[in-house]
Amino acid sequence: MMKKHTWLKYSWLMVTMLFGMIIFNTTTAQADTKEPHYVIATDTTYAPFEFQGQNGQYVGIDMDMLRAIAKKEHFTYKLVPIAFNSGAQGVLSGQFDAIIAGMTITPEREQVYDFGTPYYKTGIIAAVSPKSNITDLKQLRGKTVALKTGTGSAQYALSIQKKYGFKVTYFNDSNTMYNAVALGNAAAAFEDDPVMKYAIKNGVKLKIITQPANGGEYGFAVKKGQNKELLAKFNAGYAAIKKDGTYDKIVAKYLGSNESKFAGSAKENDSILGLLKQNKDQFISGVIKTLQLTVFGIIFATIFGVLIGVLAVVPNKFAYGLSSTIIYIFRGLPLLVLAFFIYIGLPSLTGTKIPAIVAGLITLTLNEGAYIAAFVAGGLKNVDAGQMEAARSLGLPYWKAMRKIIMPQGIKLMIPSFVNQFIITLKDTSILSAIGIIELTQTGTVIISRNMQGFRVWFIVALMYLIIITLLTFLAKWVDKKFSSN
Amino acid sequence: MTAKVSVKDLHKAYGDNEVLKGINLEVQENEVVVMIGPSGSGKSTFLRTLNKLEEPSSGEILINGFNLVDKNTDINKVRENVGMVFQHFNLFPHLSVLENVTLAPVELGKLSKEEAKTLGMQLLAQVGLAEKADAKPTQLSGGQKQRVAIARALAMKPSIMLFDEPTSALDPEMVGDVLQVMRDLAEEGMTMIVVTHEMGFAKQVADRVVFFADGYIREQGTPEEVFNNPQDPRAQDFLNKVLNV
Repeated sequence: MMKKHTWLKYSWLMVTMLFGMIIFNTTTAQADTKEPHYVIATDTTYAPFEFQGQNGQYVGIDMDMLRAIAKKEHFTYKLVPIAFNSGAQGVLSGQFDAIIAGMTITPEREQVYDFGTPYYKTGIIAAVSPKSNITDLKQLRGKTVALKTGTGSAQYALSIQKKYGFKVTYFNDSNTMYNAVALGNAAAAFEDDPVMKYAIKNGVKLKIITQPANGGEYGFAVKKGQNKELLAKFNAGYAAIKKDGTYDKIVAKYLGSNESKFAGSAKENDSILGLLKQNKDQFISGVIKTLQLTVFGIIFATIFGVLIGVLAVVPNKFAYGLSSTIIYIFRGLPLLVLAFFIYIGLPSLTGTKIPAIVAGLITLTLNEGAYIAAFVAGGLKNVDAGQMEAARSLGLPYWKAMRKIIMPQGIKLMIPSFVNQFIITLKDTSILSAIGIIELTQTGTVIISRNMQGFRVWFIVALMYLIIITLLTFLAKWVDKKFSSN
Repeated sequence: MTAKVSVKDLHKAYGDNEVLKGINLEVQENEVVVMIGPSGSGKSTFLRTLNKLEEPSSGEILINGFNLVDKNTDINKVRENVGMVFQHFNLFPHLSVLENVTLAPVELGKLSKEEAKTLGMQLLAQVGLAEKADAKPTQLSGGQKQRVAIARALAMKPSIMLFDEPTSALDPEMVGDVLQVMRDLAEEGMTMIVVTHEMGFAKQVADRVVFFADGYIREQGTPEEVFNNPQDPRAQDFLNKVLNV
């Protein structure tokens, strides 16, 4: 009995320690400063307000402005680029202190956010493919219009949907939305005027067919009633940079008509090698993030899965029930839903922030772990019952028999399933881009948002996944061989 | 002297199906008891209750004085003293022949690895398989597997050995070697309870033959009494069939 408990305790200790190490790492990275420190969300892809520059740093009107204001007002911040909708919700759940993401001030939003001084006047336009013969919103009747989830433009489009009779489809980032229109999958897109102009200037094949409508203003937002100090600093800083001309310089830098192509030279964009060279650092950091998620995800999921899988075969109804319930829930939930629930849902309930990478790892552990648990339970059940009887008849306690006799035979049966699950885990890490982890897939999105080279960049990303999967498969085969020869 | 095994009014049921309907049996030290009877008569189930591979529904089982029905009895301690040999051998396929034999004493802290190895080789020699020590179970014939299984059970130095149809899964030419090992054990004075269809072995080695039918013990006595002059009609019928093939 003693032995059984120490074994379980030991495994559990390891899991908590590893998780702890990751949390500890991310928190120490942001501490150690006398100036107030904030976590500020922004969109991953919203040029010219925020997008990744060629050196990997985030640039754009919002970004440059925030940097100038922080400097003037003496605060530091950690920037979290994340899909707009997740970022906006993350502020409400306490995950982030504020968001700056070309966010239109609306009465609905003012009920839950406090906005700073409006810093940019905008309007919403509709754009179509240059080949399209649509010149007026009236021609959209019965056609599908592309919108970006949770944006002011989407809201505006919905408000006129009845009048013009179009259907809508939603996308999570601008670039995918533009491509849907450029490729003819949607007839038109609604977008903020400056954003669309910037995109067109950088080579997006769209044309604007309307005047800016429903003029709105962008604001810096915090959760209503919270972070008053940060909001005050933003307003003071904004007033200062407006006065000394910094603000105008920033806007001119991104939208000035005399500005030439912003997205790097055509030569570099035209070849895969050129793209690779130009974005080398970003790709490397994306691959590293993907590998980290995969490796740690596999380790935690395996520990969790084996524990839960073993629980399913012990002769105890409660353990069996617990195990089946866990498998049922976490295998049943889509990975994306689970990730959003842990990253955005849980903090709203508990009030504790979870770093995205930790939320991502917990998601992988639970989801992949549930699959592992299912085949571990199956594998152990497939070991002949006589094996357990023989071991017990010699006087071996249950857990010792499990470990020395049943597990080694069961694991051998499970190895192909493990290899399969590891490959699935690697691929599933791409889903975690949705909670703002800049892994390989998100790196692709981010690079495309700057250079609009969709086909070539996705080709590179796909190739990288294949290379990693090939290496992982080799490794798994090698482990399998080692195991079988023993 | 108290009995090694003492069973009183043992019942065992699976749902509505009662397979043991009140068994009483005592086995003395050094005694060899052979249990015979038609398939489904309950003899294997009964044997398996003696080391609690089957949980009895009611009744009393004392093994070396330990009460198996008492929840406070450490079943692992009792099992260390009760070796069991199965019809299908149940050797551990991922371990070598020698490791099969040495696993339990080493894992349970009875012997050091070195001591266990010495004992293991000695036991393998005793069953005539010393040269197979490094082989894997899959490389052995059925008869060889069963002899390794006996050596494995003996490695815990049990005072009682249970045999559950040890030769039923063997090719006929393999049976002799296994029975010889069991005969040697009996001669050394091991307390043995054997479920078998080998009537020759029962006649030759048993101190007592017990006849099971329909969940009851119908008849018991010396081999001469049971084989030559059975009283119970079911026993007469059974023996008539198996002895006059």
